[in-house]
Amino acid sequence: MSDFQLYLTNTAGLSSVASFWVFVASNGTKRFNGIALKVANGVMLVGFIALTVAIVTRGIEAQRFPLANLYESLLWFAWATMGGFLYLCRSYGIQQLGWLASLLAATMFLYGSWLPSSQHDISPLVPALVSYWRQIHVPPLIVSYAMFFLAGLSGLLNLWQSGRLRSLAFCVGTIIAASSAIGLGTFSKVDTQWLQILFVASSVIGPFLAFRSLPVKDAAIEQSKASSKAAEMYDDVGYRCVAIGFPLLTIGIITGGLWANHAWGSYWSWDPKESMALVTWLSYAAYIHLRIQRDLSAEKLSIVSVIGLLLTLLTYLGFNSLGFGGLHSYGKFK
Amino acid sequence: MVALVSEDDKSKEVEPEVASSLVVTPNKVKDGKRDNTKDQLSPFASVKLSVSLMCLMALTILIGAGVPQESQGGQEKVFEVFGNQVAEWLVRLGISDIYHSPWFLALTATLTLNMIVVSFQRVFPKLKLLKNSLPFFRGQDILKLPVHYCLNVAKAEEQTALIADLSVRLTKMGYKVKAEGSKLKGEYGLVGRLAPSVTHVGLLTLLLGITITSWTGFTGFQPVLLDEKLNFSDSQHSKLWIGSLPKWQVRVDGTRRENYPGGQAKQWFSNLSVVDDKGKVLHQGEISVNNPLTYESVDIYQSSWGLAKVAVSFNGHQRQLDLRPMGEKYACFLPLDQDTVLIMSLASEGKSLRVFAKRREWQAPKLISEIQSGKSIKLGDVDVVFEKAIPVTGLQYKRDPGLPITYLAFGIIMIGVLLAAVPHRHVWVAVEDNRLYMGGTSRKAKVGFERSMDNLVEKLKASFTLQEHAQLDQGEQAHV
Ligand code: HEM
Repeated sequence: MSDFQLYLTNTAGLSSVASFWVFVASNGTKRFNGIALKVANGVMLVGFIALTVAIVTRGIEAQRFPLANLYESLLWFAWATMGGFLYLCRSYGIQQLGWLASLLAATMFLYGSWLPSSQHDISPLVPALVSYWRQIHVPPLIVSYAMFFLAGLSGLLNLWQSGRLRSLAFCVGTIIAASSAIGLGTFSKVDTQWLQILFVASSVIGPFLAFRSLPVKDAAIEQSKASSKAAEMYDDVGYRCVAIGFPLLTIGIITGGLWANHAWGSYWSWDPKESMALVTWLSYAAYIHLRIQRDLSAEKLSIVSVIGLLLTLLTYLGFNSLGFGGLHSYGKFK
Repeated sequence: MVALVSEDDKSKEVEPEVASSLVVTPNKVKDGKRDNTKDQLSPFASVKLSVSLMCLMALTILIGAGVPQESQGGQEKVFEVFGNQVAEWLVRLGISDIYHSPWFLALTATLTLNMIVVSFQRVFPKLKLLKNSLPFFRGQDILKLPVHYCLNVAKAEEQTALIADLSVRLTKMGYKVKAEGSKLKGEYGLVGRLAPSVTHVGLLTLLLGITITSWTGFTGFQPVLLDEKLNFSDSQHSKLWIGSLPKWQVRVDGTRRENYPGGQAKQWFSNLSVVDDKGKVLHQGEISVNNPLTYESVDIYQSSWGLAKVAVSFNGHQRQLDLRPMGEKYACFLPLDQDTVLIMSLASEGKSLRVFAKRREWQAPKLISEIQSGKSIKLGDVDVVFEKAIPVTGLQYKRDPGLPITYLAFGIIMIGVLLAAVPHRHVWVAVEDNRLYMGGTSRKAKVGFERSMDNLVEKLKASFTLQEHAQLDQGEQAHV
């Protein structure tokens, strides 16, 4: 990896951390709130541009499409998170999502930089990955995952603004527990069996408790007009993210099938990672149908979107780091 | 807004009562039979059912992804991971082969039935509504819409210009605009309304393609040694099968591996000949990963590669020894006596054979000699000749007659889900008694719609003399 590359990636990483703090700080001041948000957005934009250039130069340096290992896919994920947020911000002006989005991007950078250096290096491809299909298949998937994460985060904000603080706490706790399982699975020697249990148990119990706690509301927040307006907005933003993410996931899965058919002669082989993508797809199809039928309240849908986030996390990082394995094991390195 | 075109009545709970009753009117009047038909919907037409089925399906596949499947790693793998006791249960319950379990098949069948029924009873009939064009609205009606504005027009002469100006602006924003006197209506994203139908047509097409394949197609995998033939005798197909297997066979004339400079595999190649039962060559070609050979709609893929055997002779006695992959190399082990093992190892090129000896008391094997292909060495009084390495190529094959239809389905589904991201929106404007009424609905991305409308009003205020109307406050409540 050249110095220039490293410099750009570091800039992007640092700017996501910086914009996180500026977004957080903006909440502390009423007077400078507007300026602070502009600054935070600006910092995020700088990071986004740096990362774009970093990815492009990485591709030029490697003379191949720069999406072939976990590290590179994390860069893409962070890129899509930042880009997705900036796009949403332009049409919605949703500043509060900013600190969550930058936190997410920063976490991905951190996760990526902790990976062993063999994962950072620009290494040659195994025969199965030498194909132009790779660049058609993978980017939509990564971007869709990022959009689903943003949808889940909007769900959290919706719970916050509708005064469902207890449900929110359960959801946040679940996300923290599940991500810890993945972090430990990647970087520690803890028995993956325990981590699988941690992931699965928290993903089942957390949302369940969150649903049960929905009747508990913070009256002051719930009655505030500004909050209910904001809650409605986050609900809408979440749906928007899914509406963008779902077609991308569909395209990613289908092009994956086309590639597999082209390379191995079967477009579907029930490989675990493939199956997980289908699980995620079915879940979001269920979400969309729930949504158009309007059977569930916005708060319930928010919890569903958090469940979606957990499934996406499991699909994207969980299956490799928690030791389930499969054909798509470029994420494995232990 | 969903209620706009006779969506489910549930929408009323969410949308302001007034607005939906108003907007639903045109359809209510038009299809008075609607409630009857609703009663006639089959129990399989419930979307609640489909959502539950989708969730069950997702859960089932989740389990299938987490538990190693017999169809992939074989039953041994299941026992290896879970131990005897648990594995036996998993096998008995069908969880270790979940995609062939009666539970999974029943779930698939129900979901399919559900989708077919819903598509024909609920989704496709809505296409008819596309032709219905909505009427122009009066000011009072516009005030009942979920997003609306009421502004005083200070200068009477601006009234016509306002409609003209809005007409231009909305058109620029992508609306299809119709104006009539002091009234205007605009529609955006009509194609978005095709999304459910297109997607569901795609899904039904996919089912058709998969069914054709399952009834007439076959697949299989066979490791074939150099100069040997692939026949289709151990191919797999479904139980309900009306297809046939080819009479010809495929001979492997050559196969090799290409490496990166570092020694990792870059690509595998095989030269194949299609031969009939008399040995006549019908077709020839080279395949590699991602580059199959097709003959009579049977595709043959390069799917794995290795060195299978090494041919050596000991004092003129020829033997073929089985090789095992060891990292990037291949090796075989020949016990000589109780304490000594002879190890032969080959790199993937198969050009030179390294011979090691390992005795119990030695920490590592010792290299004795390296023999080039065709050459010999003397080991004690044994003459060892390295004749050649025999590669094996893993050939995956299939015939998939439903594939064109499946691909068509993929295309339709992709278009359908992309269309679903397009929000369908309506805007109405009326200028009455020196007041400008403007309002609208958006089925999706409501907040984005509101912001675009707010923007529009700001722009109007900049070019015309408009003042907020007191009534707006009252409207604001309906708005939230
Ligand atoms: C299996 C049974 C299924 C049933 C019973 C079902 C039913 C429905 C119904 C009733 C609608 C609403 C139509 C409308 O409001 O005009 C709809 C829309 C839709 N369905 Fe399905 N569906 C099923 C499966 C799927 C699957 C597997 C997908 C995956 C792609 C899917 C994708 C869609 C999309 C994209 C829409 C349009 C959503 C929108 O306009 O935002 N459906 N479906």
